[in-house]
Amino acid sequence: MASIRLSNLTKRFGPFTAVAALDLLIPDKEFVALLGPSGCGKTTTMNMIAGIESVTDGQILFDDRDVKNLPSGKRDVGFVFQNYAIFTHMTVYENIAFGLRVRNVARSEIDRRVRTMAALMRLEDRLEWPSGKLSVNELQKVAIGRSAITEPAIFLLDEPLSNLDAAFRAFMRTELKHLQHQFQQTMVYVTHDQIEAMSLADRIAVMNLGVLQQYGTPAEIYNRPRNIFVANFMGSPSMNLLPCRLVSEGSALRFSFGEAGLLDVAGDSALARRARSAPSADVIFGVRPEDVEITQAGGANALKGVVFFVEPVGARTVVHLKVNGKVFKVTKEKRFKIAIGTAVGLIPPVGKCHLFDAASGDAIGAG
Amino acid sequence: MSAQTAFGAARRGGLFADEAKRLGFLMSLPAQLLLLFIVVFPLLMQIYVSLTYWGPLDGESWIYAYKSLNPLDNYGELFIDGRFWASIARTLFIVVVSVPIEFLLGLGLATLFVDQFPGRRIFYSILLMPMMIVPAVAGYMFFMLFQSNGPINDLVSRLTGLDMDFVWLSDPNLAIVAVMIADIWQWTPLMFLILLAGMMGVPEDQLRAATLLGANSWQRFWRIVLPKMKMVIIIAVVIRVVECFKIFDLLAVMTKGGPGVETETLSYYIYKLTFADLEWAYVAALGLFVLIALSLIAWAALWRLQKAQARAETQPGR
Repeated sequence: MASIRLSNLTKRFGPFTAVAALDLLIPDKEFVALLGPSGCGKTTTMNMIAGIESVTDGQILFDDRDVKNLPSGKRDVGFVFQNYAIFTHMTVYENIAFGLRVRNVARSEIDRRVRTMAALMRLEDRLEWPSGKLSVNELQKVAIGRSAITEPAIFLLDEPLSNLDAAFRAFMRTELKHLQHQFQQTMVYVTHDQIEAMSLADRIAVMNLGVLQQYGTPAEIYNRPRNIFVANFMGSPSMNLLPCRLVSEGSALRFSFGEAGLLDVAGDSALARRARSAPSADVIFGVRPEDVEITQAGGANALKGVVFFVEPVGARTVVHLKVNGKVFKVTKEKRFKIAIGTAVGLIPPVGKCHLFDAASGDAIGAG
Repeated sequence: MSAQTAFGAARRGGLFADEAKRLGFLMSLPAQLLLLFIVVFPLLMQIYVSLTYWGPLDGESWIYAYKSLNPLDNYGELFIDGRFWASIARTLFIVVVSVPIEFLLGLGLATLFVDQFPGRRIFYSILLMPMMIVPAVAGYMFFMLFQSNGPINDLVSRLTGLDMDFVWLSDPNLAIVAVMIADIWQWTPLMFLILLAGMMGVPEDQLRAATLLGANSWQRFWRIVLPKMKMVIIIAVVIRVVECFKIFDLLAVMTKGGPGVETETLSYYIYKLTFADLEWAYVAALGLFVLIALSLIAWAALWRLQKAQARAETQPGR
């Protein structure tokens, strides 16, 4: 078992910096998701941990042991590829046994461990199948079983669920979490799907353009995003972000949204205290769709919005509104009915609002 | 079957009842007739002639070959013709020595060239060059190289300090070696080219997965690369075996089958029978026999290939 410490880890491809001075501590036995859009450097980071990609600068430590110059086969790392990279010319059995065979483990021992692993992955009746005949779902299980059988201290998964159909993906999410508890391994999981990251990971590292944006538990990332990128990336639908100006009104603080209206906040509220630490009066005001209340139009302390689209998504209804010419989304329960074109008032609860500096995009006063 | 009976069947609602089938038959008719003319007719003619003693000195058209009809005499002769069996054995010897050497050299070179290195493109082009040279010219080159006062003896003498004066092409044992060296020189590039293409087709991610699972480069080669190349290896070896079995041009220039009959291969024996001995009826029988034998071998190889392919095709698209 091992912890992983990345310090000042950098990868450059010619003039392009794929990963910039990344510092990350992945504690032993934790499940950490590297989350970000395509090209954010998450896979490159993972490949450097596995030793597939060389390191331009910085260090990779497994339990304080520098592995930067260790070849990938010697790092004791399990790796599940996005396309699984199953050996198509072998049977399922041979695939799972591969890691043991190349280590010259005794035949009887191999057989015992392959059968145990197959039972765990529920592949017993597939062992003699040529792996090319398997469904994608089964390929995925073989890929995990094949890597897990050598009991690596560190397990890396590169978007392992992205090729699966929706139902099996949900099932596999639970399964993976379960397996991690069983294997007791340090797992690093690359994904661009924030729901996967939220539901699986103990900690999430959000990356963008090669730079770590925020590292924390799913709750921290969701509830206290450190900047606009994280706020926008996490949550579906994503957080509503509206530019506004801060104006002092005696003891109260006023958020001015132009034509969309005003919000007055008591001067001693937490939000007001945070707002006062803003470097400039131009801020971005953020609120999650599920936190906003919809009321009658014209009420005090509410933003003006007009419904232009109602999207029922099963468990809930997403109401799309235009606020000051910008799209603003509110999620309501599934029975919620509202006519398109209705003018409404929108009340963001004071305790659940986020503020970002308009210039830097960093969160204001968030601890 | 003639077209007329086919249409008769159509009226009775038989084989060509289907409009599309009839159209397909009509459309392919010219090609079928052409094929009939260029394949079936000569074959039938060969079978016919092979059952006689007919030759160009008879002064008769081949049509009247039946006058010297004696069925199976030529075929009987075949089995007791020592020169024929010796030429087959010699040909097989060249095949079983040259092709494996070409395969191993080609595989080794492919392993080198599958990775990038400085100058790869230039060496690659140079390596492929022998293959592009006209075989007769290659034969001439080696004819010159293997002269007793030629560069090869000279080079060996200088390197070893001994006075080498092998008469390569006139020595009963060395002549065939010289021919095989020429063949290997010329056709290793083809093996290399096909094997390299196959090796490049081995999925990178599977090799990477093997590495991450702890396989060293030797294990990767044996457990991933070679099994994945199985089809390509079969194709390359079959091509070379068939080609090598027909070896003629190098011999024609280098040894003319000599000294004596020491480098006489099957093709060269048939050539001599045809143009020196004018034994045309016997050649027809011999040719037919070789055709059937080779067809059986090719069929067996293809059958195995198809079986492997069927297995590969049951895999889902990837």
